[in-house]
Amino acid sequence: MEKAGTDLTKRSIWRTLDIPIIIAGFLVILPILGINRTTDFAIFCIFVLAFNILYGFMGRLSFGHMLYLGTGAYAVTLFSEHVSGNPLLAILAALVAGALIGVILGPIIVRTTGACFALINLAFCQVGYFLVLVAFSRYTGGEDGMSAYFSKMPLLNFGNKGIVFGFVLFCLVLAYFFLKKFTASPYGVLIRSIKENETRVKFLGYNTFNYKWITFIISTTVSAFAGALSIINYGYVTPSFIDPSRAVEVIFAALIGGSGSLYGSIIGGVVYMAISNYLASYIPRWEMFLGFALLIVVFRFRTGVWGFMTGLFTRRRDALTR
Amino acid sequence: MINTIAYGLTIGAILYIISIGLSLTFGTMRIVNFAHGFVYTIGAYLLITSLPMVRDNFFLAAVIAVVAVIPIAYAIERFVIRKLYGVSIDYAIIATYAVVLIGVDSIKWIWGASPIPLSDPIGKYVNIFSVTLPMYRVLIIILALVIFGVLTVFFKKTIVGKIVTASLEDKDAVKSLGINVDKYFSIVFVIGSCLAALGGVLYAPITSVHPYMGMMVLLISFAVVLVGGLGNIKGTFVSAFVLGLIMAITGRYWGPAAETMVFVVMGIVLIFKPVEV
Repeated sequence: MEKAGTDLTKRSIWRTLDIPIIIAGFLVILPILGINRTTDFAIFCIFVLAFNILYGFMGRLSFGHMLYLGTGAYAVTLFSEHVSGNPLLAILAALVAGALIGVILGPIIVRTTGACFALINLAFCQVGYFLVLVAFSRYTGGEDGMSAYFSKMPLLNFGNKGIVFGFVLFCLVLAYFFLKKFTASPYGVLIRSIKENETRVKFLGYNTFNYKWITFIISTTVSAFAGALSIINYGYVTPSFIDPSRAVEVIFAALIGGSGSLYGSIIGGVVYMAISNYLASYIPRWEMFLGFALLIVVFRFRTGVWGFMTGLFTRRRDALTR
Repeated sequence: MINTIAYGLTIGAILYIISIGLSLTFGTMRIVNFAHGFVYTIGAYLLITSLPMVRDNFFLAAVIAVVAVIPIAYAIERFVIRKLYGVSIDYAIIATYAVVLIGVDSIKWIWGASPIPLSDPIGKYVNIFSVTLPMYRVLIIILALVIFGVLTVFFKKTIVGKIVTASLEDKDAVKSLGINVDKYFSIVFVIGSCLAALGGVLYAPITSVHPYMGMMVLLISFAVVLVGGLGNIKGTFVSAFVLGLIMAITGRYWGPAAETMVFVVMGIVLIFKPVEV
């Protein structure tokens, strides 16, 4: 019994000290992977978090989430080029652009569910890709993309990779904290109920449309945030930030980590980035490997790495109490 | 202009041939089958492999390619799709996408990643309304009409077709009659996959053959299916030709926008007629 007790406190430590644990985790992988890659990983984790709010918590699989990432990326670049080189203002502009696209597309998109939701997102992503690549290529640089220049701030000199890493890690923690509060609130319970059974939520008297719309806007805004941060990191935007064929990356990351868990999103983001960064150089047929890994995840580990680990802990605890 | 319309009808015919299988799996099993695009690609590649074997006889090579797709389609159905019945639709999307990843990588492994061009297999031209059209394109349109006729008879007159039509309406009621619906679904799946491969075979001489050719076509066929209505055989026929014409007419004025226009139309249709899945 005593052992079970300590195990329980161990789990609650994981819960209460989550933010220091995330920071510590990234500081541990920092010397292993190098600063550029770790920053990249952290940005991708923000994107996975944004995606998972929609997929894991509200149960809507979007196949075109690259559109919202790309919106942020292009907004930050265009803002720095035409309005002001202040990076913080540019990020703010990207957040506004992300929220705006959620407000505009939301009413069309959130009315659908299941396959339709996935595909209509994909369709909009395709339209956005076309707009960036061809229609507005005069402003976006078309296939070549364009560079973004940011002016130096007194404390935030984004030319220094260390400061970029610190800033990105801070942003990741910020996004995590915000989404944690959001999902733990009664509002978060409501969107999870929408995932389980929307009709019943409607019967309880809630206007589910508004809740879905707001959740969609939050997801697009945080995705745009991730897009903006990648531009701060790279200093360069290309249409690959909005490429619909890359949509599967974030889905896979969310699945590996385990949908419906914020911790899981971060683990999934890191694991996916590690696979795609390193596996490709060691295994020539890595797409095939990825395909088989996806099939195994879908048929065997539906709860992902995090769900599998927590499941393991719970099972061991049950065995000990017995 | 007539030339553009003829081109649109050709695209529409090929889209119809590809979409019908997608529409049926979507309508009967509620599964978004990304593997359909892979089957389409492999059809074109099998054509390329079989062409030299039959001394460049396009017709024979096409038949071989379509027949050779049957075991591949059956394997996909048996080992992936069948396990997805009744599972959340998200997992179905991801699992079939995984099949695409594996399949496309195998294609790159076997045939290489560079595009392979094919020439027009007939090379003759016909005069219709004082416009010269390639014979091949006219034949594709006629073939699509024939397939439409055959499928209409198949779904109205044969017992397999009747069972499938009934289960499109109400799967549980058909099941309670003691009919093994899943068995008929796998038949429908294989037929749909063969038609997708036929679409790939027919489209190969018009464009070049490359490992990722299935993805864009798949997205457009999804648009066709959603606009036409899930599992609606006539609706798919009409929407395939309408969207084919839209693509051709847009492409005439602004080439790169052709595919995007299809999605714009799909978005507009979905706003006014949301699909319940």
